Amino acid sequence: MKVEVSRRKFLQGSVALAIAGGTSISVSNLLAKDKGKIEITTKTGTGEATFVPTLCEMCVNKCAAIARVENGVVTKLDPNPRFPKSKNMLCPRGNAGIQALYDPDRLKSPMIRDGKKGSGKFKKVTWDEAYSYIEEKMVKILDEEKDNRSSFLFCAGEGMAEHTFKQFYQAFGSANWLNHSSICLQTVVSGYGVTLGAYPQSDLENAEYVIMAGANRAEAIVTPDTMDMFKRTKGRGTKMICIDPRFTNTAAKADKWLAIKPGTDLAFVLALTYVTITEEIYNKKYVEDNFAGFDKYKQSIIENKYTPQWAEKITGIKATDIIKVAREFMAHAPKSVYYPGRRSTFAKNDFQLRRAMAIFQGLGGGIDCKGGLVFGSKIKLKGHEGLEPIYDRARSRGVDKKKNAVKGEAGYSDCAVVGGGGSWVSWRNRFLEKRMPYNVRGMFIYKHNPVLNMPNSAKTIEMLKKMELVVAIDTMPSDTVMYADVVLPECTYLERTDPVKTFGGVEPSIAQRNKVVEPMFESKPVMEIMQGLTNKISKSIFEITKKHDEEVQDLIKEDGEEAAYAEFDLTKPFHESQEKINEHAVHDHHGAAEELKKHGVYYPDMGKYYKQVSANVHQYYIESRKSYSVNGGKPKTKSGKVECYLANLSTKGVDPMPIWRDEYNFNVPKGKFRLLTGRHAQFTQSGTANNSVLRDLIFENYIWINKRIAKAKDIKFGDNIEVSSSAGKVTIKAYPTEKIAPDTVFFVHGFGQESEALSWAYKNGANDNAVIEDVTEPVYGAAAMHETNVEIRKV
Amino acid sequence: MARYGMALDYKNCINCKACEVACKEENGVLLGADKHRIWVGVGEIEGEYPLLSIVSNTFYPSQCQHCDEAPCQMVCPTNATYYGEQGQVRVDPEKCILCSYCMNACPYDARYVDDRTMTVDKCTFCTDTRLERGETTTACQNTCPTKVRIFGDLDDPQSEISELLRTREHFTLKANLGTKPKLFYLT
Repeated sequence: MKVEVSRRKFLQGSVALAIAGGTSISVSNLLAKDKGKIEITTKTGTGEATFVPTLCEMCVNKCAAIARVENGVVTKLDPNPRFPKSKNMLCPRGNAGIQALYDPDRLKSPMIRDGKKGSGKFKKVTWDEAYSYIEEKMVKILDEEKDNRSSFLFCAGEGMAEHTFKQFYQAFGSANWLNHSSICLQTVVSGYGVTLGAYPQSDLENAEYVIMAGANRAEAIVTPDTMDMFKRTKGRGTKMICIDPRFTNTAAKADKWLAIKPGTDLAFVLALTYVTITEEIYNKKYVEDNFAGFDKYKQSIIENKYTPQWAEKITGIKATDIIKVAREFMAHAPKSVYYPGRRSTFAKNDFQLRRAMAIFQGLGGGIDCKGGLVFGSKIKLKGHEGLEPIYDRARSRGVDKKKNAVKGEAGYSDCAVVGGGGSWVSWRNRFLEKRMPYNVRGMFIYKHNPVLNMPNSAKTIEMLKKMELVVAIDTMPSDTVMYADVVLPECTYLERTDPVKTFGGVEPSIAQRNKVVEPMFESKPVMEIMQGLTNKISKSIFEITKKHDEEVQDLIKEDGEEAAYAEFDLTKPFHESQEKINEHAVHDHHGAAEELKKHGVYYPDMGKYYKQVSANVHQYYIESRKSYSVNGGKPKTKSGKVECYLANLSTKGVDPMPIWRDEYNFNVPKGKFRLLTGRHAQFTQSGTANNSVLRDLIFENYIWINKRIAKAKDIKFGDNIEVSSSAGKVTIKAYPTEKIAPDTVFFVHGFGQESEALSWAYKNGANDNAVIEDVTEPVYGAAAMHETNVEIRKV
Repeated sequence: MARYGMALDYKNCINCKACEVACKEENGVLLGADKHRIWVGVGEIEGEYPLLSIVSNTFYPSQCQHCDEAPCQMVCPTNATYYGEQGQVRVDPEKCILCSYCMNACPYDARYVDDRTMTVDKCTFCTDTRLERGETTTACQNTCPTKVRIFGDLDDPQSEISELLRTREHFTLKANLGTKPKLFYLT
């Protein structure tokens, strides 16, 4: 970046602060570094300290932490034992949150682009200058687009303050909203949603038998699942079968690991279902009482001959193993769990896979019960008044409706259904291919890195370059931020109070992220950014509405301008402080506001029931008050039944029940490899890539290549490998291993950013999305991330 | 006086390395791949895909064993390595001359060089941070997602760790060397 507060200045400032405070602790994690050189963490002191309960934002789990603050410096993050969801634990990322706060590369002040897009050249400006710049561009675009509010796109990554940003989108009146869902868990949530009526949790604390398929809970940590699970594996209460094309850390904890060909899990589940039905080992009473369309599904399973022998050919899993797993699962049911998982869409059939998994689970009756899938309960929060004005000129969401679509076909050119979060990849491609029904010229990005986070980075970069106004709100100078016109620095999660949140489950609670320290530099919480921005733009963009919107013109004639404007006053949702809004949200729960400030956590009778039982066990609820069963053991669908056959899907061109199609077969042309991506416990996507302590654990990513293939190609550990597809190519170091099949390669997501402003993350390995092709699944247009074949070459 | 030890329910370990980060943040440990007081041991997997040996991929979380008969203490020419009041094996940086005999003598490879002080550093059971503040456990024990560790007083028959060692089978590493480690692996 051309202008920024230099690292040296940053250091001088911080060290001076520490000395002024008369501290004895070292703020050595703020010491200067050369690129790639060692860093030092801060040793905790033994003197005075204050403690602030907060919620982690190093990933999406929102585990509870207690920050130790010494002389204004956060020296340690410890787990908060009071939170039933995270149960007194912080993972490596949670522990490394301090380094997110004190990352020398943080965005420190508002900036405006001062060079070509993507050049990384910015000039430092005041907040007011940044807002004025945005105002001027917005007024121009909106005027030229005749107040079509949808000429602006709003997109956000997952986070507790996402809601605050979304309120801006709603008040602004655009119909173009994209969130993480279509590059995340859209198909799993929806698959379970339409089949069981909700996306359930799993009671892994009591399950006796667990199938972990395509879910890597040892590395992609989910609380409380990860903690509940691995205390009971290895013959200590839970038998766990791991199904995965690669040998993961989850496989290392399994009783049995069954290697499966990528994208063929659906055939595995269909065969489990076949065994269960033909051997009549399912819970007949449960099916009779709680299933809809079972006979049709049964007929389909049998007539299609989804036998274990059939599935063996497709999946690579032996028929005898499939039979054994089906029998064991049903023998342990209802205390058996086919784990729903929480991940991105990998294969085109993912929605149908989720439906088949949910139905199979139902066959054992393990729904809404102890040891099975659970819906849990939730403590209610009071809503906060938003603003959703109606702009007459605003067009509906930018979709591409299929012309002359007939019944039984998808209504859109990209997918069958458009979900609330939209389809990111389809939206981007429509924009680039000029298939939008109107011009979209500006975009706001909050806590989101589309360049890294979705397939085909080159296309995302092209899109960002074509947008006339890109406003990025972030903490770090990510690859996406490099293509922004205006950069607004958000403070990190340790510097702000976020909207209070309720966490449903067997042991429900409310938790709050409390501000630990004041925002550093000129960064602000998104709430204050929205206050500042809307104060600046609200009146001037209302002028555009007045000019073009006849409805508003009539309204002004009738009620006067002041009254009319009140309905369009964008500042409205942001009048109150976050602290006040939170107090209001928990107003119905006596003492909750105080508990949330003091302990970070609240649930009814916490004072009565919460206690430490032993070094590693805490009690939250007594057994009789746990929400194992909240719906009488039934699914939560409108019909109250497990929906095997959904006729309304077939009208949209989607199979009404899960079936196998030949196009799903795993197939890699000779000389190519199927590229898999995934997660590990040390980083969260690209968001934590520049964290010095985490980088200490994983310096860069490596590509897994089967040892025998590597040997044949004379590839040794650490050799540079070029990986290429139709989307692009990257270079990455080799890790020959037997943990992966000879026709498959893998490297972990989140590495290889090209933003030079990231000292540590800059080109630290390879970006998977630079080579993953933009394939989407047909139902929601979710990105299917394991459908790309690549070539590899030693370079 | 207490005699501190640690039991590890090592089969819980998922190799997430939360302990390693918590240790570094608590104790101001240097960054760098070879600079750590705590680690998770794992070997390259045995077998050929898909017939792999799950057991060859067991994770062994480890750190200084705080031996009762510590070879590192025996070889130290300046008495920089000493036993703390609760049996912790400690290093006095004022006395350490970085001869590195202790690093060679330690059968567990638990020591490394702190480049700031140019002395040998190692796990202290958080003695000069958490325990000195009156806390009752180490950073690694506290943060562990799958709750591998139990820290406590081996001399107190009522302590949780004593109870565990009476009731659960366990082993120590390289027991044949007679170092009498105070890290116990629960099977």
